[in-house]
Formats: sequence, C-alpha cells, structure tokens
Amino acid sequence: MTDMLSVKGGTKIFYRGTQDERRALDGLDVTLKSGDFCIVIGSNGAGKSSFLNAVSGKLPLDSGKIFIDGQDVTKLSAHRRAQFIARVFQDPMIGTAPTMTIGENMLLAELRGKQRSFAYGLTTSRRARYSKQLAELNLGLENRLDMQVGLLSGGQRQSLSLVMAVSTHPKLLLLDEHTAALDPRTAKLVMDTTVRAVDELKLTTMMVTHNMEHAINYGNRIIMMDAGKVLVDIGPEEKRGITVMDLIDRFHTKSDAIALQGA
Amino acid sequence: MLDVFNSFYGLIPVTIAQSLIVSFVVLGVMLPFRILNFPDLTSEGAFPLGGCVCGTLIAAGVNPFLAVFIALLCGFAAGCTTAFIHLRFKINTLLAGILVMTMLYSINLRIMGRTNIPLFTYDTTFTLLAGPAANFAWVKIAIVGVLVALVIAAMLYFFMSEKGTSMRAVGASPDMAEAQGINVSTATIIGVGVASALSATGGSIMVQTQGFADVNMGFGILINGLAALIIGEAITGRQTILRQILAPIVGSLVYYQLISFCLTLGLAPADLKFATGAFVLLMLALPNLRKSGGGNQIREKIRE
Repeated sequence: MTDMLSVKGGTKIFYRGTQDERRALDGLDVTLKSGDFCIVIGSNGAGKSSFLNAVSGKLPLDSGKIFIDGQDVTKLSAHRRAQFIARVFQDPMIGTAPTMTIGENMLLAELRGKQRSFAYGLTTSRRARYSKQLAELNLGLENRLDMQVGLLSGGQRQSLSLVMAVSTHPKLLLLDEHTAALDPRTAKLVMDTTVRAVDELKLTTMMVTHNMEHAINYGNRIIMMDAGKVLVDIGPEEKRGITVMDLIDRFHTKSDAIALQGA
Repeated sequence: MLDVFNSFYGLIPVTIAQSLIVSFVVLGVMLPFRILNFPDLTSEGAFPLGGCVCGTLIAAGVNPFLAVFIALLCGFAAGCTTAFIHLRFKINTLLAGILVMTMLYSINLRIMGRTNIPLFTYDTTFTLLAGPAANFAWVKIAIVGVLVALVIAAMLYFFMSEKGTSMRAVGASPDMAEAQGINVSTATIIGVGVASALSATGGSIMVQTQGFADVNMGFGILINGLAALIIGEAITGRQTILRQILAPIVGSLVYYQLISFCLTLGLAPADLKFATGAFVLLMLALPNLRKSGGGNQIREKIRE
C-alpha cells in the first residue's frame, strides 16, 4: 500500500528565542498508509492540534517536510492543500457557513480545491445530488436545502460538515475532536456516520480525540503524542483487543523511560 | 401645512434622482459590511475620489463614459489598498479605512489641483445620452435607474455563481472558506475593491448631475449610507441574497425622502448629521436594548 501522508522531521517552535519558547512539534515523523484510520491522542499541549494544523497548512512548519500521496505540499498554503484535504472542526460553528443555506454549503464543499467559475452555482442537478447525499443521514436535511445552516442544531451541523467533508472523496480526512462539543447521543450518531463513510469510501483518516473509548473502538491505528513527538505508535495487529488500561500503561511506561533517560 | 406638503411633493423627483446615485455608495457600504464581514470606511474617501477623478478628466476633455470608468478603477484601487493594509499588517479594518480615507483627501486635492472644478459647460454622460433634456429630474432618474438595475442584476448573478458563493463564504466563516480551498485574502481584497469601485462610481455620477466636482463632496456620506442600509434592511430583510442586495436601493430611496420631508418640515440643515447619527446609533443599539440581560450579549462579530 502507498503512503498517503508522510510527515518527516516536522518541527514548529512558538516564541522562538524568548523565555516562552515552546516546541509544539519536535522532529515529528508520521506516515499514514492509504486507507489508514489513525487516532491521535495525547494530553493538552502534546502537539495534536499543531500536528493537524501543520498537515492542513494552517500552521507552516519551521523545518521538516510534508507529503500527501507522494507530493511535497510543505510550501502549499492552507487553501491550496484543500484540494487533498477535508476537515471537520471541533466547533460546529466553524466548519459550516452559518448565514448560508445548506445547499450553498454543500456547493462550497463540492468545489473544494477546484477552479470556481462564473457559472450559476446551485443548479437543479446539483440540488438533486445534494438531496441524495443528505438523505443518507436520516436527519431530514434533504428537504431543507434552502434553510440557513445557522438554524440547525450542533449535531445536525456536525453531520452536515461530515457529509461536506467526505462527499468529495478527499485523499485525507482530518477530524479535529469533531464530536467533543456534542452530547453523548449525538456524538455517537456523528461517530457512526463517520465510521460508515470512512469504511465505505476507504478514506485515509486522522482523528484527534480525548475520548479513550473512541480511541480503542475506532480506527486501525493509535498514535500517542507527547511534547511534539510520537510517543507510542500502535499498529493494526496490536490495536485489536486493546483496552483503555493498556493504553494508559503504555503511556506511563514510555514516558517514565524517557524521564529516566533524561535523568 | 399644505405649503410644506407641496414643497415636499415638488422635491420628490430630485430626491429620487439623488437617492439612486447615492444607492451606489450604499451598495458599497453593504458589500463589505454584510457580505464580507469587513466593516469598511473607505467609501467616505472613494466617493469624492470618483468625483474628483471624473470631474478632472471631463474638464480635460476626456470622454465622460471613459472618465466614469477610470473613476471606477481608481475606487477599486482604493478599496484594494484598505483590504491589503488590513490583511498584510493586521491593522483593524476600520482603522485601515480611516487611513486610506484620510490619505485620499490629499490625493483628491492633488488630482484636481484646486478644491472645486465646475463642469456646467462640459458634456457629461447625461448630455451625451439625453441631449438638452438631461437636466430634467425624470431623465436623470431613468438613466441612473437603468444603471442601478444593471448593477443589481450583475451583483445578484455574481453572488449566486460559484465564485460569488465562495466570496460570501469568506464573510460567513473565514476558517470554513479556507478549509474549502478558497483564497480568503484574494476574495477579501477583490470584494472590498469592488465595493469602493461602486462608491467611486456614485461619486462620478454625482459630479455630473450637480455640475461640479468638489474635494469636500460627500462629507458624512458613509453615515448616510449606513442609515439608508439599515432602513432598507428593516424593509426588505436579509434572509436571501436578493433581499440583501435590494436593501441598499430601497433604503436609499426611503431615507432621502425622509430627510427631504424633515427638511421641509423645518429641520435645520445644520442638525441633519446629528439627527442621522442619532438614528443610526438608535437602530444599532435597539437589538441590545431589547434584551433584558445585559453583560454578555451577542454583538456584531467584527473580524480583527
């Protein structure tokens, strides 16, 4: 299988040369194979968000390289990388345009990374296609293409964001704690939809989460981050049957070992 | 009382002509403020800029249509400058607008070489189109009205196109727009540029109807534009892009009739700006006053 994402020596230092200097990413090496569903965990400040932002292009690296499907994207800005990457944010308010209609949001997603023309946007054929895609959510959104997205609930918006993200078959799907702001029932609904879409479309996916249950129940790989590096990398064979306790043990063993080395 | 009504009635056509011209500025205020979420003050400088450029060129014997077009381009450049200052140097949008507006005053003076250029003796787009009838208010209304209709149709089409939908996304949610592969900076610069181009076009038409270009023309035009926009939105609503684009025109037509009515009733012209400002303040404050809570109300979100 080919490498879909590869980060080599990714380093990002905030406030370089001041007292507040902080290494958000410290020589990070990660490779995702095509079809990997990788869960990224780690405590606050471990570098999970920086990792995601570096991949999406929001956070330019100080050094290191990023390849998507073999192509060097290190120098591409965030909006240029959008042709490869779809992203669902933690905050349902950010991932969609609240003052625009459901149909318009779907249109924006369909045109992600493509040349946009002066032609009329929401054509009849597009509306029909969007209705069909939204119908799979079973939320009734398919009949509300002209409704403003701001009027939807958080769960509905997150589900919409997800459909928008996967509808274009991106090379890489980034999920940034995308169920964290939802109540448990809605979170489950969105998570189920996520898994279904990822399986069906064989999307290479990276999901940041704080939810240990999610980490062990979903995906085929777990990356545990600490201090801007990968601390533990658990592959498909090992991940089957792993428990939350195992995860915590692995984390402590490894960080203790590092602490001892330092001492 | 009948006298008052008669003089108001007599002024209606002139006022309509004026409000149609100013509706370009109101469109230029609406576009950054409502569609791009970029509160912009450049209009205050772009309006006289358009007037000064157009007036100077007409007085120099340039074809009036070409003069209007060049004025439009100058306005576009002014708007782009404001947006660029904001994006590149992270200066607040309002401050960036004030900077450009202030500097434009000197530029306008330099362009004209004096404070006032009379244009009564020159051909304008109006005399070229309508000949001697150009001075009738209804002729002006017809000409400007057609132009306004064309601009509205063009804007409506654009904002429903693929490119236009993307530009609206930049104002609605910049993070989302970027994640969808939209170049937020380019869209903002072009959008604010187009807005100022509209204001400059308004200025270039204004000097041709009033018969002179003046460096102080349009002082306070921005607040007038904002007041007109608010009135328009109260009438048309903002739910669809059609309503949002019609609001400036409707608002401008109603607002200037209101002003005309107040003036004929005896409001001193000196008090006009205070009254307009108080009105805008009241309309902006009203949603906050209605809420009982205080403290953490949701305010207009302004991009930093």
